[in-house]
Amino acid sequence: MARRTLAGMALAVEAEQLVKHYSGRGGAVEAVRGVDLTVEAGEVFGFLGPNGAGKSTTVRMLTTLMSITSGSARVAGIDVAADPDGARRKIGVALQEAGLDARQTGRELVILQARLFGSSRTQAAGRAQELLELVDLVEAADRRIKGYSGGMKRRLDLASALVHEPEVLFLDEPTTGLDPASRLTVWEELRRINGRGTTIFLTTQYLEEADQLCDRLAIIDDGLIVREGTPADLKAELRERRGLATEPTLDEVFLDVTGRTRERTAGEVQEVQG
Amino acid sequence: MTHAMVLGQRALREAWRTPEALLPTLFIPLFFLVVNVGQAGKIFPTGSTPFLEGQNYAAFQLPSSILLAASFGSAALYLVEDIEGGYFDKLRAAPVSRTAIVLGRLAAEAAKSVAITTAIVLLALPFGISIASGPIGFLLLILLTASWAVVFAGFMQLIALKTRSAAATNSGGLVFFPLLFLTPNFVPRDLLTRPMEIASTYNPVTYIMEGLRSLILEDLAWAPIGRGFAVVAVLGVLMVALNVRTIRRYD
Repeated sequence: MARRTLAGMALAVEAEQLVKHYSGRGGAVEAVRGVDLTVEAGEVFGFLGPNGAGKSTTVRMLTTLMSITSGSARVAGIDVAADPDGARRKIGVALQEAGLDARQTGRELVILQARLFGSSRTQAAGRAQELLELVDLVEAADRRIKGYSGGMKRRLDLASALVHEPEVLFLDEPTTGLDPASRLTVWEELRRINGRGTTIFLTTQYLEEADQLCDRLAIIDDGLIVREGTPADLKAELRERRGLATEPTLDEVFLDVTGRTRERTAGEVQEVQG
Repeated sequence: MTHAMVLGQRALREAWRTPEALLPTLFIPLFFLVVNVGQAGKIFPTGSTPFLEGQNYAAFQLPSSILLAASFGSAALYLVEDIEGGYFDKLRAAPVSRTAIVLGRLAAEAAKSVAITTAIVLLALPFGISIASGPIGFLLLILLTASWAVVFAGFMQLIALKTRSAAATNSGGLVFFPLLFLTPNFVPRDLLTRPMEIASTYNPVTYIMEGLRSLILEDLAWAPIGRGFAVVAVLGVLMVALNVRTIRRYD
């Protein structure tokens, strides 16, 4: 059963002192060094950070794809290390690379995913049709995925992550590499999915995206959470602390908390126009 | 089992949609059969070569070609594609038993091997080869070959899971050539030189080859057939167990 905050809100994601160490070619790597996180049910939670900060590693631990060195993580009330299959039934996952099999058609892929989550053949076909309609891919559904555009692949990946109506949807940089129009389409899909009650845990390098979509966000740097709050609170805090005349942007917040300069972050974090 | 079946169906669709990967599996073993028989066929005439059991040398060579075809499986390379493209993570993030992930691809590999072995045997029949053990023997020959295909695909998948590299997986597949040539490939084991005989005795492929050969040249001879099936059973269980363990520990 999902645990609750002091205010009585159910927790969709909960991490305590999450740590990941692994051995790389250059020696031991401390990718995540003690992350504490709570995400309330129904939130869109943004997880930001420069390249190599530990975003994807954290997501991979929360989604059972990577072992946890120490600490604990619960998703929808289930301990991901103790009951990974239980956690997998509650989450949908769309990772950085749209995890698709290019030789299948869109419909085959979604049907297969539904079958893996326990649907019968008939149920899976019906669910695939619903989801393909949701992400506006009905016309392309019977074409092989290798012919899809980047935006279509992302939408199909989203659809396949939703086959079992997950309580929590993890999205790792869902709009990276998309053109502005495709990015806006994905944003609309995410708002619609969240509107149906699904909690969304989103990593992104696009600060405008976080500002547009997220109820709350956390910034990770060098394996540690360095700031957490609503976009408005984070901006207000910076404005007050620095005595700024105008409200700062989220990228200024980001640069402030990570101690980076614009020159240093070139190629790491980008601002996009919505 | 449902998960293994749907993943197996997906792997078969993948193979069906990539015929260019399947065709060499059929033609290269046939090429080896023609070349080997062309080079050594006259040395071993039917009438004066007792180990041919009245058939021609092509019948003696057929198991080598069948085993070569069964060792060309592309399952591991498709697995590397899944890993590189992120689909493997999608499977790992689903509540699917790790055994089903392994068995799905291996079952598809067995099905492909059944089709290819049947085609090779049918293509060999007009060249005077017959299956002396009859229809049951033919079925056992197909089953033994498909079982070997599963074993070797399991070995290749293990390399794919460990290295996550298409180049390393491809190179790993070349290990079959020493295994194939350290067998009684051209003559029976008792006619090999002593070092080759020792090497082939310790090579598990020898027992599968001898099992297949007995099914082609003799009536049902259960001792070599049994040894062949025992080898693939032990290696099959070992490969599935190692694959499942590797996926469970995959980070």
